[in-house]
Amino acid sequence: MASGSGDATGVRTSVASQFFTGKEDGAIDMTTSEKVVDLLNQAALISTENKLTVLKQVQELIINKDPSLLDNFLDEIIAFQTDKSIEVRKFVIGFIEEACKRDNELLLKLIANLNMLQKDESVNVVKKAILTLTQLYKVALQWLVRSKVVSDMQEACWDMVTQMKEDVLALLDSDNDGVRTHAIKFTESLIITLSPRTPESETPRRQESDISLDKIPRDHPYIRYDTLCEEGKSALEQLLKFMVHPAISSINLTTALGSLATLARQRPMFMSEVVQAYETLHANLPPTLAKSQVSSVRKNLKLHLVSVLRHPCSLEYQGQISTLLLDLGMAQNEIARCTPAPRDQRKRPRHEPYTEGKKIKMEPALVEDDEDKEEPAPPLVPKPSSVPGTQSAIDLTAEFLLPLLSPENVANLVLISMVYLPDAMPASFQATYTPVESAGTDAQIKHLARLMATQMTAAGIGPGLEQCKAREEDSGKEGAEGEGVAEALSGSKDLLIRRKVSAVSMGQAISVLGAYGGKSQSEEMEDSPQVATAKRLPEPILPSAQTKVPGASGRKKVFRLADVIQPLTEAQVEKLANMAVKRILHSEKAVARSGMSHVRVKLLSRLVTQFEGVMKDEVLDFILEDIRTRSDLAFSLLYQEYNAYLSQLPNGSLETYDHCLITLLSGLQEKPEQRDGLFTKLVLEAPLITESALEVIRRYCEDESRVYLGMTTLKELIVKRPSRQFQYLHVLLDLSSHDKDKVRSNALTFIKRMYERDQLRDYIEKFALNYMQLLVHPNPPSLLFGADKDTEVASPWTEETVRQCLYLYLSLLPLNHRLVHELASVYTEAIADIKRTVLRVIEQPIRGMGMSSPDLLLLVENCPKGAETLVTRCLHILTDKVPPSPELVERVRDLYHKRVPDVRFLIPVINGLEKKEVIQALPKLIKLNPIVVKEVFNRLLGTQHSEGSSSMSPLTPGELLIALHNIDSTKCDMKSIIKATNLCFGEKNVYTSEVLAVVMQQLMEQSPLPMLLMRTVIQSLTMYPRLGGFVMNILSRLITKQVWKYPKVWEGFVKCCQRTKPQSFTVLLQLPPPQLTSVFERCPEMREPLLQHVHSFTPHQQAHIPSSVMAVLEANVKQEPEATEPADPEMEAPRLAPVPVPAPAAVLEAAPALQKAPETHLQIQQYAAEEEEEEEPMEEGAPVPTIQEPPAELPLVTQGEQLQVEESSAPSPVEKAEEPMEEGVAEPSDVADESKEPMEDSNTEAETDAGDPE
Amino acid sequence: MPSHPLRVAVVCSSNQNRSMEAHNILSKRGFEVRSFGTGTHVKLPGPAPDKPNVYDFKTTYEQMYNDLVRKDKELYTQNGILHMLDRNKRIKIRPERFQSCKDQFDLVITCEERVYDQVLEDLNSREQETFQPVHVINVDIQDNHEEATLGAFLICELCQCIQHTEDMENEMDELLQEFEEKSSRPFLHTVCFY
Repeated sequence: MASGSGDATGVRTSVASQFFTGKEDGAIDMTTSEKVVDLLNQAALISTENKLTVLKQVQELIINKDPSLLDNFLDEIIAFQTDKSIEVRKFVIGFIEEACKRDNELLLKLIANLNMLQKDESVNVVKKAILTLTQLYKVALQWLVRSKVVSDMQEACWDMVTQMKEDVLALLDSDNDGVRTHAIKFTESLIITLSPRTPESETPRRQESDISLDKIPRDHPYIRYDTLCEEGKSALEQLLKFMVHPAISSINLTTALGSLATLARQRPMFMSEVVQAYETLHANLPPTLAKSQVSSVRKNLKLHLVSVLRHPCSLEYQGQISTLLLDLGMAQNEIARCTPAPRDQRKRPRHEPYTEGKKIKMEPALVEDDEDKEEPAPPLVPKPSSVPGTQSAIDLTAEFLLPLLSPENVANLVLISMVYLPDAMPASFQATYTPVESAGTDAQIKHLARLMATQMTAAGIGPGLEQCKAREEDSGKEGAEGEGVAEALSGSKDLLIRRKVSAVSMGQAISVLGAYGGKSQSEEMEDSPQVATAKRLPEPILPSAQTKVPGASGRKKVFRLADVIQPLTEAQVEKLANMAVKRILHSEKAVARSGMSHVRVKLLSRLVTQFEGVMKDEVLDFILEDIRTRSDLAFSLLYQEYNAYLSQLPNGSLETYDHCLITLLSGLQEKPEQRDGLFTKLVLEAPLITESALEVIRRYCEDESRVYLGMTTLKELIVKRPSRQFQYLHVLLDLSSHDKDKVRSNALTFIKRMYERDQLRDYIEKFALNYMQLLVHPNPPSLLFGADKDTEVASPWTEETVRQCLYLYLSLLPLNHRLVHELASVYTEAIADIKRTVLRVIEQPIRGMGMSSPDLLLLVENCPKGAETLVTRCLHILTDKVPPSPELVERVRDLYHKRVPDVRFLIPVINGLEKKEVIQALPKLIKLNPIVVKEVFNRLLGTQHSEGSSSMSPLTPGELLIALHNIDSTKCDMKSIIKATNLCFGEKNVYTSEVLAVVMQQLMEQSPLPMLLMRTVIQSLTMYPRLGGFVMNILSRLITKQVWKYPKVWEGFVKCCQRTKPQSFTVLLQLPPPQLTSVFERCPEMREPLLQHVHSFTPHQQAHIPSSVMAVLEANVKQEPEATEPADPEMEAPRLAPVPVPAPAAVLEAAPALQKAPETHLQIQQYAAEEEEEEEPMEEGAPVPTIQEPPAELPLVTQGEQLQVEESSAPSPVEKAEEPMEEGVAEPSDVADESKEPMEDSNTEAETDAGDPE
Repeated sequence: MPSHPLRVAVVCSSNQNRSMEAHNILSKRGFEVRSFGTGTHVKLPGPAPDKPNVYDFKTTYEQMYNDLVRKDKELYTQNGILHMLDRNKRIKIRPERFQSCKDQFDLVITCEERVYDQVLEDLNSREQETFQPVHVINVDIQDNHEEATLGAFLICELCQCIQHTEDMENEMDELLQEFEEKSSRPFLHTVCFY
């Protein structure tokens, strides 16, 4: 540079003057080219402001003055795109625009640079880039449309433009207000370009030549009309969508309003959308706007509406627009003034060309070569985008380098890099080479440092980059390691800027932009794969491109994800998905710490429901591992499943939901006990209980350790899910006959509670009755055994199965007494085995009902035929511990008298009867089974139970005994009476000596004397010897009553005297002589002691004895035969009567034995009696048929008694006429007796085998 | 801070009082400022409200000054018109009409709503070319000397703040809101494109 002094001051003085100086000089001795080189060299070193001025001059020179130079200096200018100054970078953008407009071919080279700048870190640069793209998009499109043959490079260029267009559209979402504003304007322009111009279009004069969709040929080799059309439409959609964003800024909104107005005017086909958008906006101004902003926006809206209204095509929308304008405060006449006069001609359909275009189906726009397609995108692809990020890294590295660039270091660098220099100087280098102007100055060193820093950063090394690495995720990773600085400088082919640095040390003046073609070419070969791949990229750096790879395809592909990824196999996809879910699953704690558990839960449940199989199970397992803390996940999952089901209605399947629910519920069951009610919660909150879930609940109920929990849950279900409550109730009812006690009893408890609810009552009742009704079947139905045991259908009823049918019923009975009638009807139909069980099991419920139950009373009153035993049993149960109520007595009495005259009915209520009635019934009673008799006596004597006090016997013990004595012997055989009295004597506590004394006294006073009087006297005396004196007194009085007139009594009298000698001697002496004689006839051995007794008297006493008596005493043998004979035949029978037992204790002990023996006997008697009545022909019949015939009625007697029946059927019934019972009644009474056995003294049974005294 | 100085235009009706006052202060503060009027004519108060002095935009301040001195020096000295014109002629030669200026600005400040509307209408009626945005802000100022001075300071402060923003377009909204609060007057604000 001849004129340039080379010193910094010269540069700094005045660029303008310099320029003019240069111009003057140049006019003489400098070509334009030289001038440009000079300016560029200056620009590299001077400060920003001046740099701009200089650069503008260059631009002027090479674009306008001498465009032929453009190509030459393009690289140099473009190199400034990495300049620190924003203004310089903006200048480069402006330059690109101008250059491309001047020479469209330059788009090929420059578009990538623009793309890079579009991603600059400075918003101002980005904005400028957007503005430029707005222009260049049209330029590029026009250029392509014009080209008859589209080269690969052009295609790639267009692809990139398209990509950039997308990028800008994406900037509608930018954070920066200004960037968004620019993006809106770009969108506006894009829409206009990508839609057809129509005759109605209002086209600015300057844009008349601009390309628009209608100028795109349909047969263009690369540009697809259809695709562009679609892109335009989508851009409009985006714009409209952007406008309705609720938080849109006022400026963006204003901009968009203006854009829409422009669109409406230039592309009336969109007027409808525009007007609609205006309307929408007017109705919903963003709430974020401040007051003044609202005014501004409204003002704008008005302005734009007017401008739209003025357009002739607004005719259709005038109404809407006017309304809006009125709303906005515009006067009507003003509006009218702006309204165009309607045109006469009918408007042609506006959208015609547009829609026509749409109809044509075409291939997608991006038709790519196959080879390019399969080219995986290299890691370097994002390079341009990383540039903004590396800027600061470059700064840092430059700062770092600056102090290191001492002459010595630089010299070494040069020496090292010499090795890598090509043998021959590349032509391009030579062509562009310019000497370094100011080598060694600070500015130059700074510049050098910066150049190196740029290279290093691009190569991925340097301290600045390292520092930035942390915050820059994408950059620097691909950098080559271990390369020397020099190599980095010259080696990396993909660097943005390529400058010849090595030349510095050689003292050569170098072009700032010195190309390094040959070198790079060779480098290229040996460089990393990045190089090869980088070729395919849109290459932002131009300088060496032309020389370096002239033949290589310049086409660069836009990075597209789809090109570099390969579809995963299904297995891989599944595996990855699984792993992802697993990670989420196991991130429980970490997520919990961050407080986002709910998100995780939601995520998991959503994910899992979408997949099938394994994952679901895994999640369920995971939940079950610790269900307590993971219940929220469980619920979420469950709801999600249900939701999935609902969303597929009506075809949805509950299968997965079901599976989920069941797994959870069963899982809970396997866990050890839980007290947190999770199970209940799960069941109750589950949206739906499926059949199988119900099954699980049932299993729960059947599990003895959880029965309560299970049933509580079930109960809740019944109560809280009324729609299916019967289904749930049924499960509970089923469990009421379960064979596990605990389960059953719990179920019954719950059912009883349920029973109180009106709406459930009927169902429960029906179920219970149905179940009981099963008893009428000859065999237990399979229902009772569960489904798996149907092979046993034909098995007989067992006590167990019978009970099964009754559990529920019996537990309801105390709650609803009316049910008792159903039992009675079933009872009458049931077979004997069942009857027996029924009688056994009803005790509790009947007792629960109490004798005041009206229904029970009614049952007694009606006493259905065949249910007598049932009624009797009920009566017994009722009166077992408490005295019968008058009502009960009344009913029984009624029954007894009017319908079923079986005396046994009376037994339970005997204490409620009147004395007279008891005495009346006594003969019948004592003829019953001795055990029954014993019970009757117990009742009457109040000795039945410990709380005997409560019984109010109508008869005192004394009265009872007396009544026994007074039984008419024609009504009852003596034997029964004697047995009955013996029973009385057995109760020594009741029949004390005093009671007996009273009894004896009263009996004695009767007339005629009771037959058994003396027997009783003797027995009393045996029991209580101290009654001797009293008895003597009795005897004496009997003499006065001429006891000898009652042969039996007389016999007893004598016997008594005999026993009580010598006490009785006094009494004997009182007898008249004939009777005394009679005594001696019976007991001759008495005479001598009596005589001696008399002889022992004092003479005075002896004098009192009548001589006749003495005569008898001293009588000879002659007299004896006379007296004995008449008495003999009569005395035979009584002798059979009980033999006085020597000691009272013995009597007591023997009593049971005595009782047992008569029992069988009595039974037989009764039995035989029936036989005779019912089956006359069989009277003398062998025992065998007797037993075979009645089984229908009497299978009960089989067992042990059968033997006895056979044995004893021989003895003929004594008093058959006395048997009043009907056949039907007779037999069940045995049942009752038998069933009562356990309650009675067990001695009885134990001693059955003991020897029979009889 | 934007790397280049803001290109500001201040616009009132006649490019005499309010816009010139602001022009004066802004240029003293180092702004690259220009001032305009939007009216069809330049009007100055006359002897009576219904008799204004009307000039076209070609008339220089100097000519107006001389004209008024000739008409009634005392009156126009007293109401400050001559003083104003004297100042104006030292700033620039003649009033300029906004609609006639095709230069581009970054920021246009108008002094009353009617002017704001006219500016918008003009800007919107121009054919868009570069899409370079221009922000238009209206600051209501009454047309008298005192208000003009106060208004000029407000405009100046506003411009300084805008000039100092890192990213003007991004921060403008917020800034204006703050100013509205501070000055308790509403600002109309919009953006147009060249």
